[in-house]
Parts: sequence; structure tokens; C-alpha cells
Amino acid sequence: MEAEAIRVVLEQAFPEAVELSVEDRTGTGDHFQVTVSSPSFDGLPLLDQHRRVNDALAAPLGDGSIHELRIKTKGTE
Amino acid sequence: MKTLNEQIAEVIEKEPVALFMKGTPEMIMCGNSQRALKALHAAGAPVTTVDVLPDPRIRQELATLSGWPTIPQVFVKGELIGGADITEELLASGELAQKLDDTLGVMREQNVRTVALELTA
Repeated sequence: MEAEAIRVVLEQAFPEAVELSVEDRTGTGDHFQVTVSSPSFDGLPLLDQHRRVNDALAAPLGDGSIHELRIKTKGTE
Repeated sequence: MKTLNEQIAEVIEKEPVALFMKGTPEMIMCGNSQRALKALHAAGAPVTTVDVLPDPRIRQELATLSGWPTIPQVFVKGELIGGADITEELLASGELAQKLDDTLGVMREQNVRTVALELTA
């Protein structure tokens, strides 16, 4: 899976994000670092912020296209 | 014999800190599991580990129970803390140690043990 494909999915899930990046950590298309900063995360516990990213990527996580996902989220406050 | 679901629920509920990981502390099979375990050690946590690799059903049942799709998963007193990234962030911010102090006490034990789930054929 291309990092760009993941970025598109995340952009649809977080249209209000002020920062959004996806890095293919290993160059093998299955280990990714995603970073999302969004006002929709403001006041939300870290666990719930990560849940929202996991939910957005449920399909590629479920079918194994993403083998390893590292998540960094933050609000904008 | 208890079902896999019941066994997993019991570990989550009864163990002070449960870490569902790939491999064991002696033979860690995944970088993220290693990061989570290291962060828990650094925060002075007792850790009960469960290896999810022996059977894919362990992962499935765990995901159903926790609503969390990836491994590792850390629970403190039955509450899902998160995966490796969150555990590391909470360690860095001091919140992990604080949570352990609040739930398990400052004088808590810090031993590591491993639970093997019973698998039916």
C-alpha cells in the first residue's frame, strides 16, 4: 500500500486537519508512521484520538495491508 | 475449560497491568511490543504478558473485547491504555507513572510474568 493512498483516506476522515502526514517507515509499503493534528482532537483523550485514526484505517488494518502502524496525534489548542 | 474470550477477559480484569504482545519478554517478536514493554518497565509497572502469536484467534478475540485493532495492547486494572505509541507518550509525560501510582500504589511490585492461554483444537 502506498503512503499516498493512506494519506487520501486520512484526509477524507480528517478534512479539518492542520497537519497530516504519512511516512512509509521501511519502504516496503506496510509499516507506516502517520501524524495527524486536528482541532477535532481538542480535549479528546489520546486513546480516543488514536481510535479515530484506527477507525479511519480499519480496512487496510483488517486485511493486513498495514502490518505496523505508528500513530502520533494532537489537537490544535 | 474456559473459552478463549473468557480467559482473555480474565487476564484484562484481574492482572494489575496486562500486555498483549507478539512473543514473550524473553523472545520479543515485534518492535512495538518491545517499545510497550520497555515503557512499562521504565514506569515501574508490574507486567503480565500474553503472547498473541500462538493462535490468530487470540488476536481476534482480543480485538473484539477491546475494540482496538493492533498489537500490542496495554491494560491497567482492566482499562485499555493503548498501544506502544500511547504508552510511550504517557511515559514521557509522566502520566503513566502517575496512573500506576494511583491505581496500584507507589510501593507496587514490579515483577514480570507470562500467562499462556489454553487453546482448544
